[in-house]
Amino acid sequence: MPERKVLWRDLLVLAALTGWALALPHYASEFVASLALTCFMYIALASSWALFCGLSRYLSLATSAFFGIGAYTSALALEHMPWLHAVALGALLAAAVALLMGAAVLHLRGTYFAVLTFGMTELIRHALSYFEKQVSGTVGRVLTIVPERNTVYLTVLALAVLALATSIAVRRSRFGLALAGIGSDEQRAQTLGVGTRSVKTAGFALTAAFAGAVGAAMAVRWTYIDPPTVFNPFIGFQTVLIALIGGATTLWGPLIAAIVFSLLAETLRLQLPQLYMMALGVLLILCVLHLPGGVASLRWSTFAAWWRDTRQWWRERREEDTEQERKARRQRDRETRNV
Amino acid sequence: MSDVAGPLLEARHVTVRFGGLIAVDDISASFGAGELVGIIGPNGAGKTTFFNALSGVMVPTAGRLLARGRDLTGARPHRYARHGIARTFQTPRVFAEMTLAENVRFGLRFAGRRRRAETWGPAWLAAWIDRVGAPWPWRRRPGVSWLLRNELSILNVIGLAHLADMPAAAVTPSQQRLLEIGMALATRPRILLLDEVAAGLTESELQDMAQLIRRVRDELDITVVWIEHAVTTLLRHVERVLVLHQGRMIADGTPAEVVRNAEVIEAYLGDEMVEEGVA
Repeated sequence: MPERKVLWRDLLVLAALTGWALALPHYASEFVASLALTCFMYIALASSWALFCGLSRYLSLATSAFFGIGAYTSALALEHMPWLHAVALGALLAAAVALLMGAAVLHLRGTYFAVLTFGMTELIRHALSYFEKQVSGTVGRVLTIVPERNTVYLTVLALAVLALATSIAVRRSRFGLALAGIGSDEQRAQTLGVGTRSVKTAGFALTAAFAGAVGAAMAVRWTYIDPPTVFNPFIGFQTVLIALIGGATTLWGPLIAAIVFSLLAETLRLQLPQLYMMALGVLLILCVLHLPGGVASLRWSTFAAWWRDTRQWWRERREEDTEQERKARRQRDRETRNV
Repeated sequence: MSDVAGPLLEARHVTVRFGGLIAVDDISASFGAGELVGIIGPNGAGKTTFFNALSGVMVPTAGRLLARGRDLTGARPHRYARHGIARTFQTPRVFAEMTLAENVRFGLRFAGRRRRAETWGPAWLAAWIDRVGAPWPWRRRPGVSWLLRNELSILNVIGLAHLADMPAAAVTPSQQRLLEIGMALATRPRILLLDEVAAGLTESELQDMAQLIRRVRDELDITVVWIEHAVTTLLRHVERVLVLHQGRMIADGTPAEVVRNAEVIEAYLGDEMVEEGVA
């Protein structure tokens, strides 16, 4: 499909989904609206994560750090400034931390980068816990000024839409091309004129800004926050899983997977928490083995190929069985003759 | 042609050490505008390491690197690319998921966009302007050939325009080697460093590659520095040869001078090869 047509298709789908999401609280139950809010949170987190990590193939596990920074910023700032300013400040602080973190770890690749981002997340969490206990003399924070539920819903929806729109824009920009080049062969991209360090740092900060803003917006949902809640590594892991299962290099993959995960989470987590975790694990294994491009890479041809492979496997097995039966019969005949 | 007098790229006493091993030992060389230079030497002579230093991929342990008089020692590879130094790698390194056109567009959108093509518009218009001469804004600007004006024209130069929409992973290794040259040309370089681009090619492909390299120098006004193991072909096409042995440069001269150099014969060419008439 020509690039311009793809752009129009993407924009139309985004506009239609946004319209549907805007109308949702007016006719759906509170439970569904709450489910949608979780869904938007993961769409924003996974899309923005995939924007940098999917294109550049730098596996960051620092999402929960940026989310937590945003949440704490909002908890502290909401008493002094309006709602949107607090959310913006959360994004800004998370991006600032990402710039510092990026300067320290973005020269590493692969597992080293992933482990270090996770280590830094833990460092921030424990440092904040220590600070709260020793200096502030508290374990967590109670959010006394909380905006209306509808405001939170609209803010998180706006962040999800903005994350997808940014993703559309970046994938068509020089910046996106540079990230894709870094993901494909970083040194080659350098020799073709890409200043990889600045591109990576900017991408990392952009991802962090979204995570920070989402953290700031979602913090009010809990009304009480402490470091183990908002810096929960599971937020980061789940973001990564959603993006990978959906298709980290695709635009709509993280959105599709975020919807599936939110539904799974709400239906399974409360009743069968172990089953939920197992479902995540099984989905990831299946995707890695059979669908490395993620759910968004599924096409009719994929199903046709699977069907063809399965039939082929079944036919070979039957032929093997028949061959074995034939051999066994011959053996029996020989034995009978000998007797 | 270069708008600055003096060498386009100069290495001054460049040394690269890996722990106790000296891969490149105090090499000084300069490459001027319009040159076609070959670098030969046995395996492990330090040819590729020298290239890595020349293109910023590796920071030399000692010595300086100057591009048109500007010191680039220690700079990152993208700065070398922006200063008009492009390179290929020994094993083709193309962006496998992208199409050939996208691969070439990559260079044009980064290092290449700093230097505009001489003229714009379709090839017939550019050819006509060349013939009759034209006033501003169509007159030739010094620097980049109009053959490098966009991805399709570059794919035409390397002979892969018919595969423009194919993914790079789907083309043959020899086409990937050509594509690598196309990607490097897309940065609109002043100097092109080619690292064994003819490795694994058949005899006819080797001749085509040599013709392409000559064309790059002659028609695109790009200085070419070419590392190759196919010595006979290389010596037939280049005008100057550097010979490296155990990290040192043991000869720098015309092919005729180099094949008569006793140290080169002993270290690399051997008597038989010289008798067969490499030059």
